[in-house]
Amino acid sequence: MSKNLHKNICEEIVYSNFFKKYAEDLHSFLYYKFGDHLNPKDKVQEAFIKVWENCKNITPEKAKNYLFTVGNNLMLNEVKHQKVVLKFQKEKPKSHTNENPEFLMEENEYSQKLQKAISSLTEAQRVAFLLNRIEGKKHKEIAQLLDISTKAVEKRIYGALKKLKEQIHEL
Amino acid sequence: MKREELIRKWLDNELNPKELSLFKELDDYTDLIRISEGVQKFKPTSFHVTTELENLKNTIALKKQKRNWLKPVYAIAASVVVLFGIYYSFLLQETTVTTLASQKQEITLPDNSNVSLNSLSSLSFDEKNWDKQREVELQGEAFFKVEKGATFNVKTETGLVTVVGTQFIVKDRAELFEVVCYEGAVRVNHNGQSILLKQGDSYIKMEGTTASQTKTTQLSPSWITNTSTFKSLPYSTVIAEFERQYDIQIIADHIDSKQLFTGSFIHNDIEIALKSITLPLNLEYTRTNQTITLKGE
Repeated sequence: MSKNLHKNICEEIVYSNFFKKYAEDLHSFLYYKFGDHLNPKDKVQEAFIKVWENCKNITPEKAKNYLFTVGNNLMLNEVKHQKVVLKFQKEKPKSHTNENPEFLMEENEYSQKLQKAISSLTEAQRVAFLLNRIEGKKHKEIAQLLDISTKAVEKRIYGALKKLKEQIHEL
Repeated sequence: MKREELIRKWLDNELNPKELSLFKELDDYTDLIRISEGVQKFKPTSFHVTTELENLKNTIALKKQKRNWLKPVYAIAASVVVLFGIYYSFLLQETTVTTLASQKQEITLPDNSNVSLNSLSSLSFDEKNWDKQREVELQGEAFFKVEKGATFNVKTETGLVTVVGTQFIVKDRAELFEVVCYEGAVRVNHNGQSILLKQGDSYIKMEGTTASQTKTTQLSPSWITNTSTFKSLPYSTVIAEFERQYDIQIIADHIDSKQLFTGSFIHNDIEIALKSITLPLNLEYTRTNQTITLKGE
């Protein structure tokens, strides 16, 4: 249990490890929750700077919660609760495959439908579902990140999947 | 196993091979897989932990540098403030001489001009800048013997007295403002007027009366020889001067303090002095340690 070895996270090694452990998670969390237009990368930087400036008062156990709260608040300060539309990578013709144009068009159409469907999810559903599907996180890990129960995570992810399926069928 | 349970296990990557085949038989299996694969395209542009950490460290280093860079600036600013403080409190400090009641003092100014300071008075001057400007500030009463030279200014709260080289007194008390010229010439700026006093002239302004000019034949003020002389001055002036010379309180509630008094008292014998100011007006006095009570007969 190296957890309690350090009173705070001011030490560079502790701080760097803390960054390596949570930076990407925070980024994914902010990205899926608020979308791309508010520069989640910058917010990650800002949030970690805040943590550094207050490192004396932050114990290693509290650091993650502090970080996520700061990141979230930084976003909320700017966000006017716009609809979150996530970008997707468009299928481009690949020179080395024989995918026909019709297939490519269908794929892009499907992505657009999915995009709309994702936008219609609640913030909570979207964050949990995409952390699970895209970042490949287990339910338990997500529960720890978001400070909620595993049951709640399951519910959100399952609910999200159900809603996406319905939406895509309707569109 | 229930459909929902299978999907949940699939979502958490917990399906065993047997459950997996069951899951594959679900009628919406292809839909689910398509969604799951479809959302992969929504992954944000890659987040490089090491690059981002590098950026962060640079930003923090920059912030630190800024602070370190500012530190000496603050230090310099602080020293400047301290130096100015020292400069003003020591170097620019004026020399001030103050006399207590029943005390007189002789002061020699940097140019050998001489000042006799009467009781309860204060004189200050700037020793460092004396060559540039001969100027003293006076509260109370003083006799000046000014060496010839540049303009010599005496500033009081009431007026400004300007001379070149002469002997004169300036008296700026609560009850009156008086300038007497004993030698040479003195210019008095008072109440917006500018009056030139020649040898033997005196200028006097009492509270509530208009300024007047009289003549004197004395060569120096009488208090220089330890005597206070009054010529047709209100009795209150006499009492005030007596209090200053003997550091004592005089209670004179029941007598007319406005009646005029001509006469003098000496500074070194209180009994004789008291007699000289009470007998002419037919007053009686009782004396304790610190107070004298005057009564009419």
